[in-house]
Amino acid sequence: MSPFEGCPGSRMVDLRSQDAAEAAPTAKIASQLRQWPIQLHLISPLAPYYQGADVLLTADCVAYALGGFHNDYLKGKSIAIACPKLDQGQDVYVEKIKAWFDQAKINTLTVLIMQVPCCMGLVQLAKQALASSTRKVPLKAVVVGLQGEILSEEWI
Amino acid sequence: METYLNTPIKEVITKFPKIGKILGEYEIGCVPCSLGSCLLKDIIEIHNLSEEDEAVVMARIAREIYPDREIKVLKIQRKARVRTKELNYSPPIKRLVDEHVLIKRWIALIPQVLESLEVKSVEGRQFILDGVDFIRSYADKFHHAKEEEILFKYFDENLDIIKTMLMDHTAARGHAKAVAEAVEQKDKEKIAEHLNAYRELLSEHIKKEDEILYPWMDRGLSVKQVGELFSKFNEVDGTSGNGVTERCRKFVAETEEKIGKSERRFQNESI
Repeated sequence: MSPFEGCPGSRMVDLRSQDAAEAAPTAKIASQLRQWPIQLHLISPLAPYYQGADVLLTADCVAYALGGFHNDYLKGKSIAIACPKLDQGQDVYVEKIKAWFDQAKINTLTVLIMQVPCCMGLVQLAKQALASSTRKVPLKAVVVGLQGEILSEEWI
Repeated sequence: METYLNTPIKEVITKFPKIGKILGEYEIGCVPCSLGSCLLKDIIEIHNLSEEDEAVVMARIAREIYPDREIKVLKIQRKARVRTKELNYSPPIKRLVDEHVLIKRWIALIPQVLESLEVKSVEGRQFILDGVDFIRSYADKFHHAKEEEILFKYFDENLDIIKTMLMDHTAARGHAKAVAEAVEQKDKEKIAEHLNAYRELLSEHIKKEDEILYPWMDRGLSVKQVGELFSKFNEVDGTSGNGVTERCRKFVAETEEKIGKSERRFQNESI
């Protein structure tokens, strides 16, 4: 397959030549995760750690690409993860996100997605839920590049 | 150079007037600023110049100050942020920007209001007092109070940029008071003087906030603080805001209609 064909979300990209770009930290990095479960189908939107929280809705791949994910984004927040391309039953996702807004009364929602076009579906789910909720909440979208660079960070 | 980076901009520009022109080229309008006490290094951060622009501006400023020496200017420390092509306000800050739109609609009407100013009749005087009510109820008690009692509390209120905004608020209150007094005295000149002064003050003030203060504040607010501000603004809008907003929107719309009608009548008569 030529490099210009196929879905950008599953196109092969070899990043091994970038290995030396930045030295890995030598100290152990503590996890900032403070809840379980995290998969959007498994979580209860009314769990205590979502009440009034700043919530991250993260595409599955983000945490692998974004080197500083724990300290820069997860710290102090509650989380759910999902894949807008592969996950089934996404109408349930909309209802759960809506419940965060209306019932858990979350403070903010930040949607972290990869730069691949299919990932934008996660932002659309959040927007759809916000449009149908009675309580409005600030919604932010952060787009992450394949090598963990932040491509954009915008309030919607 | 370090000394000048920590010097109020007014002093720097007074000593080296060309620096004011250099800043002006990058849309940093420090020359006409009423206070001018921001430090040179803060101005570069507040205006969020790109790294390239910052390097060029600082090199040019250094050449103005030390024309005979080669000066190496250190990069100004600031929070790393992703730059977006357009201004992307957070939702609570966007709400303040939207409130500016109604205030701008009213101040845009002031020249025509003054052209047909009439203080002999009760109706004529009441019309001006309604304008003062808009300034006091919407622009000040509703909008400026959100800034003073909520937003500014998230920042160091001793910062010169915030002090400048507070001074503008105080000056605006003074003009509103003077207009109300002038209506009582049926003094057309004094009404015109203070309404014009208010229009000029607020036009500049809103521009500074929309283009400089708010984007700078947005860069400093955490996601958590954005959510808190949003909730607090909702509370204000829900308790005192609704009645005030409706009344003031109606006043502006009716004034626009009234002025539009008289302008249309004037145009028809001129044909």
